[in-house]
Amino acid sequence: MLSKELAKEALRRALATGADYAEVFAEHTLSKNINIISGKTDKIGDAVISGVGIRIFKGTRCVSGSASSLAPEAVLQCASKVADALTGTAAIEDIVLRERLFGDIHPVRIVPGGVENSEKIDYLREVCQAAKDYSDEIVQVNGNFLEVDHNILIATSEGLFAQDRQIRSRVSVSSVASKDGENQTGSEAPGSRKGLELFEDFDPKELGKKASKQAVTMLHAGYCKAGTMPVAIENGFGGVIFHEACGHSLEASCVALGQSQFVDKLGTQIANPKVTAIDDGTIPNGWGSINIDDEGTPSRKNVLIENGILKSYMIDKLNGRRMGMESTGNSRRQSYRFEPTSRMTNTYIAAGQDSDEDIIGSIEYGLYAKSMGGGSVNPTTGQFNFSVREGYIIRNGKICEPVRGASLIGKGSDIIMNIDMVGKNVARAQGMCGASSGSIPTDVGQPLIRVSSITVGGR
Amino acid sequence: MGNQMTYQEFKEEVIRIASREGIADYELYYTESESTSVEIFKEEVKGYSIEDSMGICLRCIIDGRAGYASTENLTAEEAASLVSRAVDNARSIESQEESPLHHKGDAYASLEKGQCEAPDGTALVDAALNLQKEMYQVDSRVADGTQSYLGHVSERYALCNSNGLDLEDKVSYTVGFGIALVSDGGEMYDGSEDKRGRLQDFDMKEIAGKAVEEALSTIGAGSVPSGQYTVVFSNKAMATLLGTYSDVFSAEQAQKGMSLLKGKEGEKVAADIITIVDDPLYKDSVTKRTFDGEGVATYAKNVVENGTLTTLLYNLKTAAVAGVKSTGNASKASYASVVGTSPFTFFIRPAEVECGLEDMLAAAGSGIYVTEVTGLHAGANSVTGDFSLSSVGFRIVDGRKDAPVKNFTVSGNFFTLLKEIEKVGSDLDFSRGKFGAPSVLARDISVAGNSEG
Repeated sequence: MLSKELAKEALRRALATGADYAEVFAEHTLSKNINIISGKTDKIGDAVISGVGIRIFKGTRCVSGSASSLAPEAVLQCASKVADALTGTAAIEDIVLRERLFGDIHPVRIVPGGVENSEKIDYLREVCQAAKDYSDEIVQVNGNFLEVDHNILIATSEGLFAQDRQIRSRVSVSSVASKDGENQTGSEAPGSRKGLELFEDFDPKELGKKASKQAVTMLHAGYCKAGTMPVAIENGFGGVIFHEACGHSLEASCVALGQSQFVDKLGTQIANPKVTAIDDGTIPNGWGSINIDDEGTPSRKNVLIENGILKSYMIDKLNGRRMGMESTGNSRRQSYRFEPTSRMTNTYIAAGQDSDEDIIGSIEYGLYAKSMGGGSVNPTTGQFNFSVREGYIIRNGKICEPVRGASLIGKGSDIIMNIDMVGKNVARAQGMCGASSGSIPTDVGQPLIRVSSITVGGR
Repeated sequence: MGNQMTYQEFKEEVIRIASREGIADYELYYTESESTSVEIFKEEVKGYSIEDSMGICLRCIIDGRAGYASTENLTAEEAASLVSRAVDNARSIESQEESPLHHKGDAYASLEKGQCEAPDGTALVDAALNLQKEMYQVDSRVADGTQSYLGHVSERYALCNSNGLDLEDKVSYTVGFGIALVSDGGEMYDGSEDKRGRLQDFDMKEIAGKAVEEALSTIGAGSVPSGQYTVVFSNKAMATLLGTYSDVFSAEQAQKGMSLLKGKEGEKVAADIITIVDDPLYKDSVTKRTFDGEGVATYAKNVVENGTLTTLLYNLKTAAVAGVKSTGNASKASYASVVGTSPFTFFIRPAEVECGLEDMLAAAGSGIYVTEVTGLHAGANSVTGDFSLSSVGFRIVDGRKDAPVKNFTVSGNFFTLLKEIEKVGSDLDFSRGKFGAPSVLARDISVAGNSEG
């Protein structure tokens, strides 16, 4: 992408005005997005993203620049512009770049870019057909296949010169069920850091059927009644609750600026003793996995909370300087256009000791959130909001009728205290997480959990 | 990576290859952007950033089907790859609808020259430091974590096609943003205020005051018992809702069965007092555009007029399907995006007679004044219209703003809400960017708070 000589010269120019650290991030990404609607290929997006992002630090001050080009003149000009924002003389003269190989623990058997559109379309068509055939009430099915071949190169004034190639594939299907002028939706969207062999992991008919079943179930469901009650949240995408209610507040981008509910809480009890939570970017072929982060730090498994005690934040280099702590390999950016900051990778609540039967059986009246929609949080106050995509009422320890329109609201620091039962079967699910450094792939996960009391919004 | 070309050289190269390959119908869409921004934390410059970006998208039409490919890498090899990728993708499209290219002949509005000079870096830094200082001065409880942001953006949009269209728009504006953090009794509260326009028109004291005031006003917020309430949605909250549901006015969504407004043109879809306008040339907008994502001239239109849906938003393809003319609403979220439909500057028309927030609260009598709704990507579904949103606001007692409340959800259905709006204020606000609304009043809205009361 960039030669070592060019990277070195760019670093030298970036450091010319007294910065104590410089970093060059170069990117060349191919991405394709195939969309099928009403059983026919409707749209194909096909993009090449190519450019450079350069950052310099002086203490905790950061200057960054980016340019949509990898041409030597553009890269060097970007470096000079960044340097121009400081006024001083070079503090670092000698840079010796040494190439480092971190290895790749995410094997890819079929690189998507090398395969014709038609093969991807055939698979998607099968997914959509099965979704449509599920019921006469399914009026529309939208299928999507996304492939990304993301190549990054990082060179720093500390001498690092490293590259990584991140290939990801994702299938998504969304079904609309309709009756008497009312619509309900259902969806499935599995993805992985692998190539087209993803297709072998999922029976297309099952995917389509699952999405439509959810839409039809919800179409026949009544509205959820509002109130405060115990809630059992299913594994997989249920983990979004930890991601939003707690994960974002453990990112150094909030913590370093004092904008988190968990500032100065290391070593203290912030969650129920039943809760152990982990962020692990090293899960082979995990959707949110990375070999190295976007500052070149190797990814690792970070235990965030152990038996309720806060053990670690997720830290990038710049915020690490502000906090006096080392990077945890969590610095991520959507592309060269975004400044990197601390973000999650694959984040989940670890398996506990409770059986699923005991969890459901313990609830006299409450909500079973089988499938969660997305959510959002204000990391400063910890206030969050999640939608329940597929919910059921629990009565006398039994899962009863489906309900629609439910949402879970509350405060992150409260809810993790109230997770008082944790199941045994962890499952993960895929999402795109948006924040200041852009939209990045992350996994959420957990076993079935019980939250003893939470406000359920409905009508 | 080969020799880099300028946009002009690259464009000529693509056109040369297209004609060699016998591709008669094509369009090139180009954007470039230059921006500078500064972020202040603890009254010091925390970050300073300079961004230069550009990208080009080729759309070619083969047998009536559109194929797209885009790139940021302007070399001769990439030009050849761009054409072959676009052709390949066009051949994979199966939808029956034809994708036409636009022809010459529209009358385009002209934008006033030199709308907004780019301030230099030092001016931005000074302004941001000033905003930060002003925030700390508003109240002693303003805490570290308070941040201010100033940025300037200049953008250029260009479109040319094989029918001889050759268009360009330039947009330039400054953004100011204050996030105030307030610490009281061991709890943190936040508030924010933003402003778009010309730097010289920014009143830092005012922005700082509003951001801090928002944070302060939420101190000690209690909860509300679940029930049905009369609700006044603030202009910002209503603009947020309108933005979230703007997709339902897209002809593309309707034709795909993803909008409940499908087939409703000419019918009542809202209360008589509701008029919803899309005006790409809106006088106070900092992002006026004269042509849409396909080169069709933009113009102002009432999408909903006195409660009746007059038109959906069309691009050329969806207009051809419906047998109507494009409304000039072809959109591209970025240069690389496939053409869709969306509004430009989209707002609910304010009441003509003066009717401020006080009047709205007085009309409500008692209930809840909702100042902010969050969690929209989770709690709002544009296909069903259902929403269930985490909200903050104030109680309304005796027609006046009373104690702050938080931790409750407001639930309903957007389509039902449009029909049940009883009163519209005159306080149109655009702080949610391209979406605007006055405050609105509706009764019998479901609110979920604590069950005990």
